[in-house]
Amino acid sequence: MLTSTQGWAIFHGSILTVEIALVAVFFGVILGIIVALGRISKNKIANALSWFYVWFFRGTPLLLQLFMVYFAVPIIYLNVTGSTLVIDPMLCAFVTFSLNSTAYMAEIIRAAIESIPEGQMEAAKALGMSYHQAMRKIIIPQTFKRLVAPLGNELIMLLKDTSLVSTIALFDVLRTVKTMASSTGNWVYYLYAAAIYLFLTTVLQVIFDKLEKRFGAYEKR
Amino acid sequence: MAIDQPKNKDAVDTMVEVRNITKYFGDLKVLKGIDFKVKRGEVVCIIGPSGSGKSTMLRCLNQLERITDGEIYIEGELMDQRKNDKTINHIDADRLQQLRCDLGMVFQNFNLFPHLNVIENVTVAPITVLKANKEKITKRGLELLDMVGLKDRAYEYPVRLSGGQQQRVAIARALAMNPKIMLFDEPTSALDPELVGDVLATMRQLADDGMTMIIVTHEIGFAREVADRVIFMDDGVICEEGTPDEVINHPKEERTRSFLKKIL
Ligand SMILES: Nc1ncnc2c1ncn2[C@@H]1O[C@H](COP(=O)(O)OP(=O)(O)O)[C@@H](O)[C@H]1O
Ligand SMILES: [Mg+2]
Repeated sequence: MLTSTQGWAIFHGSILTVEIALVAVFFGVILGIIVALGRISKNKIANALSWFYVWFFRGTPLLLQLFMVYFAVPIIYLNVTGSTLVIDPMLCAFVTFSLNSTAYMAEIIRAAIESIPEGQMEAAKALGMSYHQAMRKIIIPQTFKRLVAPLGNELIMLLKDTSLVSTIALFDVLRTVKTMASSTGNWVYYLYAAAIYLFLTTVLQVIFDKLEKRFGAYEKR
Repeated sequence: MAIDQPKNKDAVDTMVEVRNITKYFGDLKVLKGIDFKVKRGEVVCIIGPSGSGKSTMLRCLNQLERITDGEIYIEGELMDQRKNDKTINHIDADRLQQLRCDLGMVFQNFNLFPHLNVIENVTVAPITVLKANKEKITKRGLELLDMVGLKDRAYEYPVRLSGGQQQRVAIARALAMNPKIMLFDEPTSALDPELVGDVLATMRQLADDGMTMIIVTHEIGFAREVADRVIFMDDGVICEEGTPDEVINHPKEERTRSFLKKIL
């Protein structure tokens, strides 16, 4: 069985896992809205920039992005300024996961916006609203319902992907149990990790199912 | 029922004037030089075969589409002047916004906002665009809903209403912006036959109250009864216009005759 030290270690590891996922989803949604608006914008520069952003962050492994921020940035900094830069691995995880999830969120949000019938924007404009007002009051609120399910999926993927942070000196739940398993030779620790991941993903699933029902209210007869 | 109409004696009597407008979609010339005027309080019905450019014409008036060439005046004031898809005369943005608010529009497919309940549908634009006081505009919105016979449905979501009810909400929603001119694009075409009457009755009431209206419709009976003038459009031009009696009962043009024969 677990000693209380081990129990706490696993608990802290789980918190770290959840923390990274939540921070990434939070910034991912906010920045994702901006990138998505860029993707559908008629402005060529905004369009190209956001296209490039999504292209890069979806087209390269998350692990590579993590290494670039954690290992490459300090080296570049050293070469340019001549002084060393110590990056807090936690900050590094927050930044990388947020940037990465922004790309995925942007595509999810763009698809949701494009799924709203054109008549909605036209009706809003015919009522005198600007593009901006129509987006804010009419179009984006209607995407919420369509966003719930893919957002839940994305959060679950993120939660599992956080295990990658073990490569940059962070003790998430997986790394914590792996250390215990290899020092004691007991595989049962992996089951604890599996149980925690399952618990977290199930909770998310239940929450998002509820949210979907709630946002669906206005579409029910 | 109060539709605010200026009582000013020297108010310009031409509410809408369109001069020689053309509209291309790519290489397709959809409007081929259209001129007309609509007087204050006049009800103009536009009829014509599908694809003749009736919707495009209406949509050009409130700039949902931009004209390729021509001029559009609202109450004698220039709203849009373009040549070869370029704006010649740039109107002050705030003023343009104002002019666009003078034109209310009702669509074939209602286009109510499904995430807002009925009263919110009516008040969202005045609150957002005109920065109207929420309490006051809600009161006014309920009056408008009362006028279209749907006050008791104010707190329901559009999906729970029939098509005819949704269209009447859409009319109330447009009226909440205090437009001076109402544009209707086949407002009853998407409705089951038994629901058409209520919407037409609402429009007739609006006409009786003195609203200036431009109505694209296939309801010839309604046009005959309510319109002051009927315009027959075909292939991007105004083919014939006159009183309902002239155009519908005694059409001069062969194209008008054959169109009317088909739909009557
Ligand atoms: N956004 C658009 N892009 C390209 N062609 C269009 C567009 N809107 C309308 N059209 C074309 O313009 C013509 C006139 O259409 P429309 O104004 O809708 O006619 P009506 O309302 O009289 O049926 C049609 O040939 C139609 O296919
Ligand atoms: Mg049409």
